[in-house]
Amino acid sequence: MKMYSFKGAVLGLGLAVFAAGSAAADMLADIKASGEMTFGTEMHYAPFDLLVNGQYEGLCKDLMDEVTKDLGVTPKYNDLPWTSVLPGLEAGKFQMVNAPVTITAERMERYSFTLPIADASVGLIKRTGDDRITKPEDIAGLVVGSQKGSAQLEQLKVFGEGVGGIDVREYSSVDEAYADLAAGRLDAVAGSFPLLGYAASKRPEIFETVTPVFGEKKYFAWVAVKSEETESMIAAVNEILLNMQDDGRMAKLHEKWLGTAVELPREMPAVK
Amino acid sequence: MFSWSTIVENLPYLLQATRFTLLVSGLGMGLGLVMGMVLCVARLSPIRWISRIAALYVSFFRGVPLLVQLLLAYYFLPSIGIDIPPLWAAVCSIGLCAAAYIAEILRGALIAVPHGQAEAAAALGMHPFTIWKRILIPQALKISMPSLVNELIMLVKVSSLVSAVGIVELTRMSQSISAATFRPLEIYIAAAAIYLVINLALAGLGQALEKRLDY
Amino acid sequence: MDIDLFVQYGPMLLRGLLNTVLCWIVGAAGGIALGFVIAVAMYYGPRPLRYVLRGYIEVIRGTPFLIQLFILYYGGPNIGLRLDPVPAGILGLIIYGSPYYAEIFRAGLQAVPRGMIEAGRAMAMSEGKILRRITLPILMVSSVPPLTNFSIILTKETAILSIVTVPELLYQVQTMSAETFAYMEAMFALALFYWGFVEVISWAGRKLEHKTNAFLSKELSA
Repeated sequence: MKMYSFKGAVLGLGLAVFAAGSAAADMLADIKASGEMTFGTEMHYAPFDLLVNGQYEGLCKDLMDEVTKDLGVTPKYNDLPWTSVLPGLEAGKFQMVNAPVTITAERMERYSFTLPIADASVGLIKRTGDDRITKPEDIAGLVVGSQKGSAQLEQLKVFGEGVGGIDVREYSSVDEAYADLAAGRLDAVAGSFPLLGYAASKRPEIFETVTPVFGEKKYFAWVAVKSEETESMIAAVNEILLNMQDDGRMAKLHEKWLGTAVELPREMPAVK
Repeated sequence: MFSWSTIVENLPYLLQATRFTLLVSGLGMGLGLVMGMVLCVARLSPIRWISRIAALYVSFFRGVPLLVQLLLAYYFLPSIGIDIPPLWAAVCSIGLCAAAYIAEILRGALIAVPHGQAEAAAALGMHPFTIWKRILIPQALKISMPSLVNELIMLVKVSSLVSAVGIVELTRMSQSISAATFRPLEIYIAAAAIYLVINLALAGLGQALEKRLDY
Repeated sequence: MDIDLFVQYGPMLLRGLLNTVLCWIVGAAGGIALGFVIAVAMYYGPRPLRYVLRGYIEVIRGTPFLIQLFILYYGGPNIGLRLDPVPAGILGLIIYGSPYYAEIFRAGLQAVPRGMIEAGRAMAMSEGKILRRITLPILMVSSVPPLTNFSIILTKETAILSIVTVPELLYQVQTMSAETFAYMEAMFALALFYWGFVEVISWAGRKLEHKTNAFLSKELSA
């Protein structure tokens, strides 16, 4: 069962050429026929995806459990390093990425997004008790870390120019940025606010959030391969997400994991 | 503040993941040793094209990072119609890569076995296969035991890369627990201790084997 | 395969390769130097020192570089050791490589035939001269192939410096793939750069092997 793949050919010394291939199939029909839906995520994004006592938990899991329950299928979750998640999706190793992926224009060109599942606006954390930073603008001239390639990093850079320049450091994963904030090499870490809030709630003696959030309004959503075969699957998931907004399940799970429920858009937000 | 309780609470999960470290590196070792011997014989083959292919194999698998080999096996091969389950992609990548290093180690050791021995055996009418089995390989193994153990210890450590195809082994589990507890130092120190125990056991086993080969 | 990407990101990737090569050169050279000192200390030193060094070798060799570097860089500040990414990465490589190099030299020292040293003594050579004219040349020759071999392994370990934000090859490739989603291209860039780099080292190792062999036969016949 391969919905979408790279048709590859090996040339010479291992150089490869690839182009999007297609096969006439419908992913939703396959899922219903097999009774199983497969997902890839990195279980490192507390409170969205995390391992607690060796078990997968988090907002994304709870939400997806509800979605698959409504679809009448069993979810199967795979834990992969982030650098393997999108290649895995494209190689057809699983059908959807249920990690929180920030919706951006560039990514929409390459992937199909579901409706938003949570707010992804960028915020900051600092070391607890650091009086130099009381509002986001105070990071002017300081050293701020963020995750490489993330939408929040882009927002941070734009914000930095607005406040007269900051020293931005890029990390392979946000976990290392936290470690460097704790070690004192960074003055703050920028990321999506729910993630930072969770870190601050877990280690309040080290991390403290800086309010308010800044930059453009951003949302998290799940992604699938962009192709005709996934259209019906995305539509089905979207419909369930809207139902969950209506019947209060979404708000309940948001309160459980994020502490507050936010209003989410009912249609795809416009992105630049 | 170093938190011992974090280590104690999470030790069972680290040990659970250690099983995969042991499984992948154990199977990888087996494949690597067998493939390594075959490759070594091929490299020493008097037939030109066979030794050339073996040399190219060694160059590729030593030159290209294992992570890339692994990603190619798992994410690229499906696009040309070969789909391998994660565990086998992991074991094969590790084993085939280790084979390149093991072949070189064995080749170095074989060169050190005095030439006269094989010639004497041949003069006694021994079959070439028997000469390899009874004379060359046992001695090469003995000479190369320290380097082989080194290579196997290396293999246990690089097995952490297989998380790239979705296998949750010791390093991956440590990263996940760190991400959830925000206590990376404690967890990494615990993981380091587990690796150390495995590798000390391997080193001990190597020394015992070396003594047994002393006949 | 999007070739334009290599044009666009080419300078960045080359800078990454340069950093990889620099960290490797300093890391390997430092590791060889430290390894040599450890091997000599273990060969000639008193027993307690030998036990301490044996412990060091087993602990460093038995644990993954990723974890060592993480603890050095992110844990170091807890005990007042605050290093910048590049020095931390290089120091990490030196520490990680030293036990392997030490073992290579130790094996080399043990392989120097005792008869040759005794012959030197019989010819009334001074201990310094025996070391210079007999022990070291033989050690050099027997150590070059395994030194090359381990130095090749060390090239791959430099990729781990990306976790402490050293802008080496993997770090730059990650930036490229995170910004463009070009994972295939990223993999091929890594494969080709490393393969080329390793081939150059193997070639240099073989040259060095011939040089030392030639040097030795000249020295011994002189």
